[in-house]
Amino acid sequence: MLEKMKLEWLSNIRGDLLAGTVVALALIPEAIAFSIIAGVDPKVGLYASFCIAVIIAIVGGRPGMISAATGAMALLMVTLVKDHGLEYLLAATLLTGVIQIIAGYLKLGSLMRFVSRSVVTGFVNALAILIFMAQLPELTNVTWHVYAMTAAGLGIIYLFPYLPVVGKSIPSPLVCIVVLTAVAMMIGLDIRTVGDMGELPDTLPIFLWPDVPLNLETLLIILPYSVGLAIVGLLESMMTATIVDDLTDTKSDRNKECKGQGIANIGAGLMGGMAGCAMIGQSIINVKSGGRGRLSTFVAGTLLIIMVVFMDDWIKQIPMAALVAVMIMVSIGTFSWSSITDLKKHPLSTNVVMIATVIVVVATHNLALGVFVGVLLATLFFANKIGRFMVVKSEPSNDNVRTYHVVGQVFFASSEQFVESFDFKEVVDKVVIDLNHAHFWDITAVSSLDKVVIKFKREGSEVEVVGMSAATETIVDKFGVLSDPKEVEKLMAGH
Amino acid sequence: MHKIITCLDGSAFSDAVCNAGIWAANKLNKPLLLLHALEKENVAAAEDLSGAIGLGARSSLLKEMATLDEQRSKLALELGKEMLSSASLSAEQQGCEQIEKTQRHSDIVEAICDLESDARLIVIGRSGQGNKQDFKALGSHIEQVIRQVHTPVLIANKDFAAPKSFMLAYDGRETADKAVKRIIEGGLLQGMTCHLVTVKNKQSGLMEKFKATEKMLRDSGFDVKASFSEDAIFAGLMDYKTNNEVEMLVMGAFSHSKLAQAFLGSNTLKMIENTHLPMLILR
Repeated sequence: MLEKMKLEWLSNIRGDLLAGTVVALALIPEAIAFSIIAGVDPKVGLYASFCIAVIIAIVGGRPGMISAATGAMALLMVTLVKDHGLEYLLAATLLTGVIQIIAGYLKLGSLMRFVSRSVVTGFVNALAILIFMAQLPELTNVTWHVYAMTAAGLGIIYLFPYLPVVGKSIPSPLVCIVVLTAVAMMIGLDIRTVGDMGELPDTLPIFLWPDVPLNLETLLIILPYSVGLAIVGLLESMMTATIVDDLTDTKSDRNKECKGQGIANIGAGLMGGMAGCAMIGQSIINVKSGGRGRLSTFVAGTLLIIMVVFMDDWIKQIPMAALVAVMIMVSIGTFSWSSITDLKKHPLSTNVVMIATVIVVVATHNLALGVFVGVLLATLFFANKIGRFMVVKSEPSNDNVRTYHVVGQVFFASSEQFVESFDFKEVVDKVVIDLNHAHFWDITAVSSLDKVVIKFKREGSEVEVVGMSAATETIVDKFGVLSDPKEVEKLMAGH
Repeated sequence: MHKIITCLDGSAFSDAVCNAGIWAANKLNKPLLLLHALEKENVAAAEDLSGAIGLGARSSLLKEMATLDEQRSKLALELGKEMLSSASLSAEQQGCEQIEKTQRHSDIVEAICDLESDARLIVIGRSGQGNKQDFKALGSHIEQVIRQVHTPVLIANKDFAAPKSFMLAYDGRETADKAVKRIIEGGLLQGMTCHLVTVKNKQSGLMEKFKATEKMLRDSGFDVKASFSEDAIFAGLMDYKTNNEVEMLVMGAFSHSKLAQAFLGSNTLKMIENTHLPMLILR
């Protein structure tokens, strides 16, 4: 226990401190931007980012992953804030946490295996598009100054890292913000600043219970939002965990992460913050900057609140154009550009799943719905594919007997084809159906076999079914073959 | 249950561990398994504090990190192979007949757990490569190994030489009785002088148990030197060890409950930390 804690917290102190600092600096503009997306004061997102990062550093299941207020979550709460106000958002955040903790105890983290790669790609692409679209209001009906500032900001962000020495040691988004703020203040430009968007934190967050009536009506208002938030939060967290796993070649504890996300959201809700989850972009930045342990996430959260509380007068002056530039970078970095070139290489069904996920999300602004559609489509395509993995061969033997050999997978998707493979018009005395190399996966398969047998009997043929018991072994919901090599051999017979 | 798993990592203790493994393999006439675990360091590979993520940030970062890991692993793999070969050569020269070499990609504790089903004894150094050589620093793996493994563990210290005598700390508890049983049944300590030391504790009937154990060991052919003292446990044991040329320590591991260990620490760990001698932990 202690050893593990030491390893997770203190094995990479220098790297974690540096990376945590970089992430804290990058989190500030994002937290503000996401608060604006959700329609709340910047302080709600900043408090949330602080609480979530610090709590998840302690209770999360994936060291080195950054969680805070996120765009995916912010997009889901827009209507709740608009219709019912901040207090209901805080209550929904608490409920989200409770749902996520339950999900953790039910071990739903492992359900991620049903989310295919194309759905994940669709999710991140849709997220990137939504984050970009959320910046558009800041770029419409504004003076040319804003466009110039945004362009300059993007230029700084992407070109500064190429400078020798300083380029790789100072975060370029920070440089962008500092330079643009300085320019705006010096010229005295009259453009929108962060201070115009709402209240910034001037104290540490304090404990407060959401001021909502505790009744069924409240529950019915917040429950749909909480369920959506919980699902999207866990989805993005699990996806991000997978990315961090891949990058660092280590494993994460998914169910612990589910519970951790829940605890973090409850913490955020009680401290006046909005719901959040793991962040793909920030976690990549963290790993890229050398962060590996829990300390990096903890430092990011702590530094964030310290900087915000002590520098709120300065943060107020940041022009929105600088924030937009940073968010465009986040959007570009989140988008999976290789998925566009891969469109040519991948099969059509994969592309349909990915694009459908993106379209549904962009149309509904609800990532959970998009993932649901994506998973459904992917499942159907898969069932269709496996359904074709069945063939019925037949051979006439002497004495007016015909033998059918069924090979492959028989289940709901292939049962129709299965029935059609038999020739009922042929006049034979006896029909033998050999199922030794077939797998019957569900009740549909069994009933279609019944259908075949009855049909043959009606035509006056005698029917013998061979190997039924072996074929139907796969119907039971849990068959523990993987542990027994002999059973595996038997199951895989014929493939 | 028949191999002597000898854990090498190229640290200052590796030679001693190797010698201890060879000694045990020869004495028990069991195959020697030389194990090198390629541990993954939890250290950042690249540091890029620019904080900017551009096109394909994830895939390019993954590629970069994978390449770095690849280079590091290859190097470690080669070094490990060389180390294992030289250890196996020296085992051959010292008369070992069955020698196996294996490398695993995991930390040492996991590697040991994976191979444990086939183990008779595990030989390990008191601290690993990562540690500086200050005397007290105990390798972080030791405690984990002792807690997780159900096979006897021989912890080698610097300069291992075949021991002629050992000291058994006997406290009358169940773990100690088990340890005595294992000493008699296992052949590793056969023919050595046994210093049976008991320090008075709250256990009732300790003196009787102590006498019975002494007799049991004597009947099994050990040359027993028994001592019963009333000092504090730890000091008592340390004193005895220094005053009577003891060459190896034998203990039953962890007689506290798990909870108590977490808060109080245990005499087992304290002993391991404070001795220059090789130490055999029986389960």
